[in-house]
Amino acid sequence: MDDRPVKQSPELDRIERNMRPMYLCQQGFLGYERRKLIEILTDDQGTVNSLGLSHEVIAQRLRAITDEARKGLGDPVVLEEKFEVEVQEARGKIPCPWGHPGLYPKTHVKLERIETGETLVWSDLGIHLIEEHGFYQGRGSPYRVDPAEVKRILEI
Amino acid sequence: MTQVLLSLLALSGLGALLAFFLEVADSYLGFYGECQIRINEGEKELQVSGGGTLLSSLMDQGIFIPSACGGRGSCGYCKVQVLEGGGPLLPTETPYLEPEEVKGNVRLSCQIKVRRDIDIEIPSELFLIKEFRTQVEGMRNLTDDIKELRLRLIEPDTITFKPGQYIQFQVPEYEQCPESVYRAYSIASAAHEPTGITLVVTRVPEGLATTFIHEVLREGEEIFLNGPYGEFYLRDSAREIFFVAGGSGLAPVMSMLSQMAEEKITRNATLVFGARQKKGLFYVEEIEALKERLPNLKVIFALSNPEEEDRWDGERGRVTDVLEKIIKNGANKEAYLCGSPAMVEACVELLTKKGISQELIFYDKFA
Repeated sequence: MDDRPVKQSPELDRIERNMRPMYLCQQGFLGYERRKLIEILTDDQGTVNSLGLSHEVIAQRLRAITDEARKGLGDPVVLEEKFEVEVQEARGKIPCPWGHPGLYPKTHVKLERIETGETLVWSDLGIHLIEEHGFYQGRGSPYRVDPAEVKRILEI
Repeated sequence: MTQVLLSLLALSGLGALLAFFLEVADSYLGFYGECQIRINEGEKELQVSGGGTLLSSLMDQGIFIPSACGGRGSCGYCKVQVLEGGGPLLPTETPYLEPEEVKGNVRLSCQIKVRRDIDIEIPSELFLIKEFRTQVEGMRNLTDDIKELRLRLIEPDTITFKPGQYIQFQVPEYEQCPESVYRAYSIASAAHEPTGITLVVTRVPEGLATTFIHEVLREGEEIFLNGPYGEFYLRDSAREIFFVAGGSGLAPVMSMLSQMAEEKITRNATLVFGARQKKGLFYVEEIEALKERLPNLKVIFALSNPEEEDRWDGERGRVTDVLEKIIKNGANKEAYLCGSPAMVEACVELLTKKGISQELIFYDKFA
């Protein structure tokens, strides 16, 4: 983690532009945030640290659930007797706003914790953004994964 | 203090002057004059005004390269091979290109500016792609989240396509979409009825195009599209056919079945159409009508999670469960798949295990 940026650079400005609505996807990645990208990254990094987690651990958990749920071929599947998870896939692929090589399938993963009704929504690209960039998306973004919610709902 | 202010003013003025000179210089230097786009070793040679993107320059000359994002460099579909004159590879292209594509001079045509003569290679079929002005003739809900859209062609007024192919639908600007974008949809209607096309569109969460079609578009409105595209069409052989469809993936299969009925193709064929519940099945009457005309067609509707009120006594399980059960040996069989990427992937894995060769399993590559 330690090569992650600590201040807003021209490079982060460029990435932030890629994250605005309509660049790579309809809603963009920043939601209603007015903060600079570096502030969002730093804030979530602090939350993850205070939870005793790491981006890698969170991403691995989300990926494992996604891979299992994908076997439902679009139908909801019950995992660990606790979660109902449905993976929807649309045609087309989406790139990483950081410009990493490769494209990510347009997935919409919806998890519901059966006993509480709490939900989480994420995408394949979202997992990559967490794992590689420590980016959980801006508040108000449809695919924001709040680290504290993830810890609570998924019991990591 | 005054001196500081004066220095600041002088610096700002100098900056503004430089910016002005840069603007003026760009307007002159940015004019590249007439450039030639040489296609497929001279099969076509186009004279275009330099400075535009390769994608838009080709489009202005009536040559349409598939592109889902309308040239914003976010879909990676508009790949062409650039033999000469493309300039260096741009960082905006690299996420979309595999290493072997980079080696083969494949580029994103929406990112390359035509600044000099340029030599490119594209599939000759793209010369047949046209842009169509159409009018929405009718719309109806097929399921809770799937809509049928019937478009009448205005200009040109007919289309020639191979059943199974797709078009690019131009989503115009609307409230949630400040720029026009394109999305690919398979044609569901029969090729022998060339004055209109039917599309089947599933609502996608947060989807730009599907939100437009499901919530904004109204009968009578005009829509532009271009096409046809794609290598997903019925191959001419005597092999037994398996069509496998999930959700709106039924669209191209309907067009293929209409072709078989029209051309009296009597090959043994099985359609496996999967949904979660009975309410997810559609075109049931149309399929039954086609079955009447295709005596060697077997149809299996499969529900993966039927509700009690469905009173379902048909096949239960996913399409892969049905295929597992009905295909004993894949010899002399071919398959046509259309559905979610996960469904297609699972079917390909199963069918190859059953002995159907990879080359005889066809599906939309744009998924």
